[in-house]
Amino acid sequence: MKFTTTTIAALVAVLPMANAWIFSTCSGQWDSHGNQGCTKSSCKTGDTIDWENTWGSDCVLRLYSDKSCDNQIGIADDDWNDHTLGKSKPKSAVDGRLISIKDNICTRDMPTTCASGILDKFKSPFNATVVDELENAGAIVAGKTNLDEFGMGSNSINSHFGAVQNPRRDGSGEDLSAGGSSGGSAASVAADQCYASLGTDTGGSVRLPAAYTGTVGFKPSYGMISRWGVVAYANSLDTVGILSKTTASVRDIFDLLNKHDQRDPTNLSIQSRSRINAYHQTPRFASRLTSAPLRIGVPIEYNVSELTPSVRRAWILSLAHLQKQGHTIHPVSLPATRHALSAYYILAPGEASSNLAKYDGVRYGTRAAGPDGDGKPDGYLYANTRGEGFGAEVKRRIVLGTFSLSADEIDNYFIKAQRVRRLVQHDFDSVFAAKHPLHVTASQHAQNDSVTHPDVDVLLCPTAPSSPPRLSDLTDPKKKSSLDAYVTDVFTVPASLAGLPAVSVPVTVAGQGDEAELAGIQVVGQYGDDELVMNVGEMLEGRTLEEAA
Amino acid sequence: MLRSCLGSGSVRSICARLSRPTLPSRIAPLSAAPRRFLQAEHVPLRKQLKQDAKALRSHKKQRKESEEASRQEWELTVGVEIHAQLDTEAKLFSRAPTSTSEVPNSNVALFDLALPGSQPEFQIATLLPALRAAIALNCEIQPISRFDRKHYFYQDQPAGYQITQYYEPFAKNGFVDLFDYDGIAPEDGERVRIDIKQLQLEQDTAKSQEYPPSTQLLDFNRVSHPLIEIITMPQIHTPATAAACVRKLQAIVQSCGAVTTGMELGGLRADVNVSIRRRGESPGQHQYDSISGLGQRTEIKNLSSFKAVEDAIIAEKNRQIAVLESGGVIEGETRGWTIGSTETRRLRGKEGSVDYRYMPDPDIPPLFIGEDLLSSLAENLPTAPDSIISVLVGSEYNLPVEDAKPLIELDNGLRFEYYHDVVDALRTLQVDQDDKTRASLPRMAGNWVLHELGGLLSKADRAWDAEIVPAQSLAHLLDQLQRKRITGPTAKVVLSTIFEGDRRPVSQILEEENLLFRPLSRDEYVALAESVIAMNPQMAEQIRTKNQLGKLGWFVGQMMRNGEKGRVEATRAEEILRELILG
Repeated sequence: MKFTTTTIAALVAVLPMANAWIFSTCSGQWDSHGNQGCTKSSCKTGDTIDWENTWGSDCVLRLYSDKSCDNQIGIADDDWNDHTLGKSKPKSAVDGRLISIKDNICTRDMPTTCASGILDKFKSPFNATVVDELENAGAIVAGKTNLDEFGMGSNSINSHFGAVQNPRRDGSGEDLSAGGSSGGSAASVAADQCYASLGTDTGGSVRLPAAYTGTVGFKPSYGMISRWGVVAYANSLDTVGILSKTTASVRDIFDLLNKHDQRDPTNLSIQSRSRINAYHQTPRFASRLTSAPLRIGVPIEYNVSELTPSVRRAWILSLAHLQKQGHTIHPVSLPATRHALSAYYILAPGEASSNLAKYDGVRYGTRAAGPDGDGKPDGYLYANTRGEGFGAEVKRRIVLGTFSLSADEIDNYFIKAQRVRRLVQHDFDSVFAAKHPLHVTASQHAQNDSVTHPDVDVLLCPTAPSSPPRLSDLTDPKKKSSLDAYVTDVFTVPASLAGLPAVSVPVTVAGQGDEAELAGIQVVGQYGDDELVMNVGEMLEGRTLEEAA
Repeated sequence: MLRSCLGSGSVRSICARLSRPTLPSRIAPLSAAPRRFLQAEHVPLRKQLKQDAKALRSHKKQRKESEEASRQEWELTVGVEIHAQLDTEAKLFSRAPTSTSEVPNSNVALFDLALPGSQPEFQIATLLPALRAAIALNCEIQPISRFDRKHYFYQDQPAGYQITQYYEPFAKNGFVDLFDYDGIAPEDGERVRIDIKQLQLEQDTAKSQEYPPSTQLLDFNRVSHPLIEIITMPQIHTPATAAACVRKLQAIVQSCGAVTTGMELGGLRADVNVSIRRRGESPGQHQYDSISGLGQRTEIKNLSSFKAVEDAIIAEKNRQIAVLESGGVIEGETRGWTIGSTETRRLRGKEGSVDYRYMPDPDIPPLFIGEDLLSSLAENLPTAPDSIISVLVGSEYNLPVEDAKPLIELDNGLRFEYYHDVVDALRTLQVDQDDKTRASLPRMAGNWVLHELGGLLSKADRAWDAEIVPAQSLAHLLDQLQRKRITGPTAKVVLSTIFEGDRRPVSQILEEENLLFRPLSRDEYVALAESVIAMNPQMAEQIRTKNQLGKLGWFVGQMMRNGEKGRVEATRAEEILRELILG
């Protein structure tokens, strides 16, 4: 494994924690097979670590899913709970729980690398708000998880530390993509290495890995969870997402993190939050799921030719299942969807090219040898540092973003893409029964003016057009281009552009042969309808669906 | 009376120091020095000095003539951009305090260093001085404005971009009026109005210190210090007016409390854009800020003094004329200027020009500025310098404009405040006097506050402090002087004593030091005059026969010197001398 010793050596010194756990440094105790490391100072290279017992002392897992690992052993969360929860009354739903953190979320006590060469020894001087919140609630940060560099990718293979491997295999035993960019987070949950994981979702980076690994992945409405300490990829799209085995545990964590943080200027103010609540407490919307059946929308534009038969089957059976529960199904049209993916791949790289300009090796991060600009007055200032530090996909998106923001092109690309983004939002607004709660005025609250539009409560669609690809196919330059990877985001990107809440839940389609197919089904709701989205997801989560005989 | 006591020499020299640094030392050697070293012959120092002064005069005259010649043939067009550090407690996007003299890198927040995961937190209070400046510059304040990122790589720019207001600045369409007393070129007449295109809020960069070949030291204290950028329309047509414009803009933003440090301390920097076109020819191809028909312009960056502004524009204009007259083409490029040089130098050309890729900042919400805030700020804005000047030169104060200007510009207005206190106290002390006398008081006080006290300050190299010579003390001193209980020279001595820290009341000093004026009788004057005439009867003869009245001064000086200290009045001495010599 590539990252072992250097990364661990960077784990610095002693950290006082509420529960008196001590993290200390040592090097070389990585179990390259189990993707586990021990920070116990008495460990020596080659020591066998008794995970069951060392957990109770002063060791901690550092989860870093790696392609070369073939046996991801973890501590089942139940074991851990037995250890601690019996001692005293838990202070929250996550007290004593292990939670892994995507490595683009800042932690004071562990490196924050963003899986980039340019930050491979970087340690943040502060915790992200979400990390503080979890720790204050008694959760234990299990470790940092691998990702696509700075969140740029859909398969978690664009990492300085190597590709993430999905704990699932395909029928012939081939390694599969864990999805991206929060692939390490999803894998750590799927492999039972932790109770839950925090990822980030900019265009589907939590939902897609959830779909590929068979876990629940939730992206809240934009602005609900603080982004302070979350390394920006594309600020106007970035959200912190939650991955876990069940919607119930996702909800517990969301309830902890869903609060105002003044350090994040894009975080919803307390006033905006109460406006959203007030809107949802109007009788029309408060009754959803309690008495009234739901109106479920099926976006017809999502029935694309790239959709594989098994995913299409999972979609249809999920709809059928909900219909059986008494809910009604309504086809809806979201015509701007076909442009959404292109707009996303203009906007996100545009913002990324700006956000990543700070990595110059001057104040922190890895710096290329020799003087800047090769010591020449007209040399390109940080060309060496940035050339060596960034991976290929990051460079590709920086170049793309630099182009689309340039004076001659911005009107044709960046500004046009922003217009498409508006259209996408408008599409969603025209199909949901609920309005965007921050766009309605008080007088509109009471009105029910809908005549022509379909008035659905949520939209239901697949998370990804296909089941996870093989890692070997992805890394084979002859087989796949980066464009193919971009296409896997086609169903997740629209909700990101509109800032809407969305969850991916796993469903199993009972196969006609011996094979059961696992697929991710996505529920998308109006802005602020995070609860509803999770509740609908929960109705499908873990279901094994069978075709009607 | 007062004038003659002061002696005109001291007034002039201090005035010159106040308004602009002198330049002869640099230019004189160009013409005279090389010859001096080549030729071995000895030239007496006095002659040398005279020659140098003459060479300087002719150099200035030549420059003036060639400037005038080129002005008649070519029209110069200049626009100005000024960056001024706002007077704020905190930085623009973090709570770190602003500082100019703290230990390097001691006032730096996470966001100032562009640490991954940190986000901006707009400091609302920084808006207040920015709005004051916009109101003082007669701008339309925009109800909604936004922040954009301007991208370029440099060590002093930690984020790789500067946050500024490019697409929607907070203030637009203002103007500044420049008057003859502001030092505009004579051809601009009494007044010229320069339109201001916009004001924008933006971040300052870090301070970098270069140690060639490859070391840069960086101080991030200055990063994100709030700046306003003031952009004028290209409506200036002479170098002197451009310099006057920068000076005036600085005075305005300082007097309204938006900015504390000026150009001399690096708190204010100017860029100028310069183009020329031949008069009488078809209009040029270029359009800048909706003014069309201009020639290709170049930009000169980072000018740090008013003189640099003027000199750099002259040099750049002459360079462009030379290029065009030899059949060349002006390139759109960025140029630099080093103080003391005669040419601007190319920094980067158009092909290497930076595409700043302006992008709306996705983390920073728009600024909504309410009418209520604006009206309360406008009400509390101090009186504009131009209005104060017109009061000071008006009948109530009767100050010469060259005194009124420095009075309000010096020490951020503190000198003016002090002046006001002195005048008030003096008027109280002189209630018993007639109207004419009382009307002369403000002018007298102006002289003393500006020139006498100013002279002591600069001689001792001390910063302004109203407590060095309390306003009450100066008023009492001037009261005594006005009532002729002391002479001018005595008043100066007493002022200097107080300046040195003597805290006794003025009356007590005069009493104890026996300084009260006992005027000489007419007989004593006559005796004194006769004794000095006897020292140089030929000169007295020359005055009488050749009417060389200028030489009277020498005798006056001798009387002052030989008479009892502090008792000889120059005017009275001259009267007696005239009487005796001219009959």
